[in-house]
Amino acid sequence: MAGTRLTRRRFVGLIGAAAGGSLLAACGPGLAPAGPAKPAGPPIKVGGMWITSGSLSTYGEFAKQGLDLAVEEINAAGGILGRLVEAKIENEGAADNAVRVARRYALEENVDFLIGLDSSGVAEAVAPTMKELRKILMITHAATPRVTGDLCNRYVFRMSVNVPQNSASGARIAATEIKAKRWTNIGPDYAFGRQSWDFFKKELRKLQPDVVFLDDQAQWPKLGNEDFTSFIAKLQQTQEADAVWSSTWGNDLVNLVRQGNQFGLFKSGKPYLFELGAAMEVLETLGDQMPTGFWVGTRYWWKVPDTETNRRFVDTYLKTYNRYPSYNAQNAYTGMKLLAAAAAKAGSVDTDKVIAALEDFEYEAPMGKIKIRKEDHQALAQGVWGKTASDAKLKFRVLEPVKVFKPEEITPPVPETGCKL
Amino acid sequence: MLLFLIAVGLSLIFGVLGVLNFAHGAFYMLGAYVAFQLVARGGVDFWLTLVLAPLVVGALGGIIEVAFLRRMYRRETVFQLLLTFALILILDDLVRIIWGSGPRMVPQPAPLGESIPIGGRFFPAYNLSVVALGPVVGLALWLALRSTHAGRIVRAAAQDREMASALGIDVPRVFTAVFALGTALAALGGVLAAPLRTLSPAMGDAIIIDSFIVAVVGGLGSFPGAFLGALLIGQVGAFGVVNPALAQLQIAFPFILMALILLVRPRGLFGG
Repeated sequence: MAGTRLTRRRFVGLIGAAAGGSLLAACGPGLAPAGPAKPAGPPIKVGGMWITSGSLSTYGEFAKQGLDLAVEEINAAGGILGRLVEAKIENEGAADNAVRVARRYALEENVDFLIGLDSSGVAEAVAPTMKELRKILMITHAATPRVTGDLCNRYVFRMSVNVPQNSASGARIAATEIKAKRWTNIGPDYAFGRQSWDFFKKELRKLQPDVVFLDDQAQWPKLGNEDFTSFIAKLQQTQEADAVWSSTWGNDLVNLVRQGNQFGLFKSGKPYLFELGAAMEVLETLGDQMPTGFWVGTRYWWKVPDTETNRRFVDTYLKTYNRYPSYNAQNAYTGMKLLAAAAAKAGSVDTDKVIAALEDFEYEAPMGKIKIRKEDHQALAQGVWGKTASDAKLKFRVLEPVKVFKPEEITPPVPETGCKL
Repeated sequence: MLLFLIAVGLSLIFGVLGVLNFAHGAFYMLGAYVAFQLVARGGVDFWLTLVLAPLVVGALGGIIEVAFLRRMYRRETVFQLLLTFALILILDDLVRIIWGSGPRMVPQPAPLGESIPIGGRFFPAYNLSVVALGPVVGLALWLALRSTHAGRIVRAAAQDREMASALGIDVPRVFTAVFALGTALAALGGVLAAPLRTLSPAMGDAIIIDSFIVAVVGGLGSFPGAFLGALLIGQVGAFGVVNPALAQLQIAFPFILMALILLVRPRGLFGG
């Protein structure tokens, strides 16, 4: 009996050693080919929050892919300051849920950085909480001006294009390409939709003083509205408006365009500017149902800019996930890489030191050169708009031509943001 | 008319079983996804799908009734609500696992891609057929319940479970059939909605609130009530959109209507 037991134990041990050995062999080169064999300390933890459930969950899906890619690349290059990065993602949900998740990340799981946020409403609730949690939050999508405006604080950063920048770019398209006199709006009835229309009006009035805005014709379907029939009827009846500004996004935009096609809404020749129409989430879903010849905006378009950094990112992304990166994917990727670069510059992951490193930090991202403005922590990034066109090789609409607006041209100066750090 | 079909199923289940089926929207979603699977992936004819998908979902509804809901009739209403709410979460995740969380689309059936001019405006033929189909289904259901033998049994079981079973009616089986029929109606709504709307795992959550308003406004358990309720809610919503002075309040309109009707007629317009 003693003999068998010994044999069995040795057998199990051998199996374990063999399995462990092959596991190491399998993971070793993939994990850290260039870096040190042993990490310099415990992993650096990153807590991500995006929409991963419900009708807008494609945004979270793209963000996860972008974040995963960034973490993989950072770890392959030896991690941050020799320590590996460990990232996790949770659904941001409604504002109160996101605040709870942020608290848990900061207080219980003791993450080093928080990253993400899709919804403006949610971001406006989470941003003020960071003052008390004393952790860096890198916002990658939520575009409300308030988190780098009147709600700003030293812990909150945003590396992505915000509402004023996007609307200002759209106003330039309106003034130079559309040249319509009377504008109205259709957009979701919450912070983002309202801010988008307000900033568009403000910018376009500067560029085209005789413009008329038909506020009483503006339409505000609720976010997540599915049946746009009556809104489409109203848009068709509104003869006074020469052109329409639309901040409708995500599945709502897919529904609006599809149902609009069914009712012949886009055949009238009336111009529509879709502020977030060039999101891959929308273009992939609509395919050839997206009408061509319409100006659409985005916060990153994978063909722009034509730099080595961007080409490499798009190639890697395409190879890894077999699809083109959406702006949300690029933003999550860049947000993570930016944090890593700032920590490397600071020589530490200490919150105060990384904040100091991020302020006025210039970084070359796939989306182009960005600079984090010291005074409000908003990224100075370029605005991208383009005209929808078909591409024989792709199953979705592409942008041709593309118009790019310089950051300094479209970003409101610091005193206008209302941010005091 | 989509709302009508869904509200009718909701009303039917409540009227006969006495269960407020929160998961009704989830069955609607399931119907749409089954249609996506059959039409967009399987190349099955849309009109065949219109029959097949409700059968599949109705069968699932029947199984769920036998396996879970049946145990809840004698318990407090809270348990029924919890159970049907749990069903939403399970079915939503099931859809996510099978079809992914990304938006999905179903093409319109070919012969109805055309638009028809009415009063100077063009209406897609498909939308018009959906409008026409609603009352047909509703009327058929109403006549079946009123005049057929099976309909009488269902009404008897709804009115007095114990008396009906004393008369030799297999009440549990009737309940299973009614629940299956109700969920099949929700699925029919889902199939019809699929070419109009974008499919996503949350599509049921959006419609269930409107359907509840329709059913409550019309009177829970009443078919003509559900029909009138659906028309009213549609009109009130459109009224808010078209009238510029009220556009800001448009979202609140259906709720205001429901509150007013509950104040004046707590049982709804046609509630007994």
